[in-house]
Amino acid sequence: MAKTILAVDDSSSLRQMVAFSLKAAGYLVVEAVDGQDGLEKAKQQTVDLVLTDQNMPRMDGLSLIKLLRGLPAYQKVPILMLTTESSDEMKSMGRAAGANGWLVKPFDPQRLIEVVKKVIG
Amino acid sequence: MTRKKILGSHVKRLLSGVSDHGKKHLTEVETDLRQTELLLEEAIEKLTDSFMAIHAVVGERQDSINRLLAGATPSAEESAHLGGMSGEIGQHVNSAITSMQFQDMTSQLIDRTLKRVTGLREFLGTLGAHGADILPEAGSEEIVDLLGKVSMALAIQSLELRSVLRKAVNQQHLESGDIELF
Repeated sequence: MAKTILAVDDSSSLRQMVAFSLKAAGYLVVEAVDGQDGLEKAKQQTVDLVLTDQNMPRMDGLSLIKLLRGLPAYQKVPILMLTTESSDEMKSMGRAAGANGWLVKPFDPQRLIEVVKKVIG
Repeated sequence: MTRKKILGSHVKRLLSGVSDHGKKHLTEVETDLRQTELLLEEAIEKLTDSFMAIHAVVGERQDSINRLLAGATPSAEESAHLGGMSGEIGQHVNSAITSMQFQDMTSQLIDRTLKRVTGLREFLGTLGAHGADILPEAGSEEIVDLLGKVSMALAIQSLELRSVLRKAVNQQHLESGDIELF
């Protein structure tokens, strides 16, 4: 059965490109427009991986990660940040919040797929 | 210090404050706009290359495709060449996807610039509002007091504006970013 990835980003073009890349590799993709939407969708269905941006309206990526890690179903689900942010300070905050990895935009589709395969198969 | 000198010193402080804060913010506007320009130029260049490359990949095989459509049997070489088309196109599509992410980054830079411009307009509005409070008959002590308050208000406003406009986009090029698994 195909694995499901929750892609959270306030940029519709970015979501489109993430979905296009991951669907081409056989994954199912659920899209969310910001952290709040991502949290609601994550509660509706448990996904295999969360890929989230950081700077979003209503709820940012770090806040989303902290809330997801508070849910029993998301204790072990891998969460990766996909963001323009690249500072060591932000990465440390991401790691402390519960992120399993940090991808700096722009992403290369092939490298994205390789990382996702490495994390969830 | 005489009253004249105190008044003069406050006016000087206010004017230099407005100039310094204004220049710092406008320098950031300039930096963000130049970065946006760079990213847009690179995106268009790379996207053009990707589309031309995809066109070339298909064009190189068009004769073989036409022969196939006419019912001919492809040679081994032709079959291999046609078989490689998907992979080659895929590489150029991946390159285009990386370039198309310029929209996300330039959108953030433009948004930051717009917020800063709005903040600067409010900054000038504060200056104007306090200026309107100065009565023509106001004495120098009142004016000194008001000038001090205006300088302080502007400094706070400028700092607050800087604090909400963190730079989240430092990319100068559209090369794919680092990946780190913790």
